[in-house]
Amino acid sequence: MTEEHRHGERRHADRRHPEDGGRIYILPGWVRIWHWCNALLILTLIATGISLHFAGGKAPLIEFSLAVRIHNVAGLLLVVLYIFFVVANAVTGNWWQFVPRPPGILERCLKQTRFYLWGVFKGETEPYPVTREENFNTLQAITYWFMIYLVMPVLVGSGLIFMFPQFAPGEMFGLDGLLPVAVLHYASACIVLAFLIAHVYLCTFGKKISSTFKTMITGWHEH
Amino acid sequence: MPDAGLKYLIRGLGVALVGLLLPLAALAAGPSPEAIAKAKLANEQCFACHSQEGLAHPPQADLDLAKLRGLLVDKPTFEDADHGKFACTKCHNEGYDDFPHEKDAADNTSTCQDCHAKKADKIQAEFDKSVHAKHLADKFSCTTCHDLHSIKVAKNQDEARKIVAQDNRICLGCHDSDQTFARFAPEKKVRPPIDEIHDWLPNARTHWKAVRCVECHTPLGGDMLSHEILNKDRAERKCVSCHSADTSLKVRLYRHLAKQEQEKLGFMNSVVLSENYVIGATRNLALDSVMIGLVALTLLGVLVHAALRVLMHTLRRRKKDD
Repeated sequence: MTEEHRHGERRHADRRHPEDGGRIYILPGWVRIWHWCNALLILTLIATGISLHFAGGKAPLIEFSLAVRIHNVAGLLLVVLYIFFVVANAVTGNWWQFVPRPPGILERCLKQTRFYLWGVFKGETEPYPVTREENFNTLQAITYWFMIYLVMPVLVGSGLIFMFPQFAPGEMFGLDGLLPVAVLHYASACIVLAFLIAHVYLCTFGKKISSTFKTMITGWHEH
Repeated sequence: MPDAGLKYLIRGLGVALVGLLLPLAALAAGPSPEAIAKAKLANEQCFACHSQEGLAHPPQADLDLAKLRGLLVDKPTFEDADHGKFACTKCHNEGYDDFPHEKDAADNTSTCQDCHAKKADKIQAEFDKSVHAKHLADKFSCTTCHDLHSIKVAKNQDEARKIVAQDNRICLGCHDSDQTFARFAPEKKVRPPIDEIHDWLPNARTHWKAVRCVECHTPLGGDMLSHEILNKDRAERKCVSCHSADTSLKVRLYRHLAKQEQEKLGFMNSVVLSENYVIGATRNLALDSVMIGLVALTLLGVLVHAALRVLMHTLRRRKKDD
């Protein structure tokens, strides 16, 4: 192990000692408000999106024209909210939370993965507890970066073109030009849904099952 | 010899029947290339006057140019149309041999029924139930909607967009124009604002570019599109009639195109996809499987993980208690 790696390990080991003995304030109000608005919009868009894509089947879905209207309004609100989040992240410096800090990124990822796949069953504690400087462990940071800066722009951008199809290419490979837009929108939405399932589940990994959900409301993280 | 007589009678009837059916079969198949070339050549005489070129350079000095301006036919459009393979005199058959044409020549023009008798009966029965027949029966004829010099029926078109443009031009020509609407509408009847009465339909104008008004405003059934135009109370309002795997577009707008191909690149209703991406109707089954699989595996993984956590936690607690 290099000196650099040892330093990284020590720095992260230091985080295990909370500065106020039980809880730290990690999430400012604007992040929490954004998070819950985002959650509400994403859930609405998933429900209406499924109703549109699988329309006409036997499943009890939202009526098509109603689903279109809700999806369009919620979609536009999500665009505004997404732009707000990206700008606010840049202005406040919060975007650093989504950038895993070297050194030892791979090593920390592996250690975190081992915890999820093995350690958690044995009752071990989180290898990299939350600090005010680093809200996320390395795996979380990478995943959130992927979702917010890669999947979300594709989802939001393709949704906008879907809403204003005059900007879609007229034709592609002999098929309607809206096809690649539709495929990207559908695939990115499914990735968001899969993420959402895992995201909600991983929120049960706090001190108590409800701890992380409380953190998202109060901003205080319990150790 | 009565047997021989019967044989001759049957043979004679057979020959007569073949003689009768052959021209009918030829008519159904349309005119031969030679006949079309001959008709085109004969039509040149008509286009000498009845075209923009004829109006700009009249072949005769005594033409009433103001009247002629209203009797022009676009030659390329006509030649591409269903009737373009026929001589003008097929319909304008009496009184047009010489100029000036005879005064009652227009009255002697053939009617649609003269050639399309069987179809016309069926269409008439449908039209009689149509919203147009209710108040406007005396003002409506085939040519009110169909321009016989340009019409090209759906089965002779190779692109859905062209069918849509042609057919919607007919409906919107009146229903999106106060001036034309007033020509046919009963007195004091104001044209309903077309955008307002369709405000329940998301992206209505986009729909009108992609599908025909008659997809919703005619009942489904039969071997051809019905001429029973339904008013807004009876028109289709269920989006899933088109926006579903079992889309009715297959037997409506894409009825003739659908015969060409049914599945391309794993997409259901790919014939629709070649011209329009229709949410709910054009789905890729492989992509659906991958995406549903991704979500289902995530859910399964989470459930298994959660169950193991609970189990291990219980075992640990039990061990501690022991």
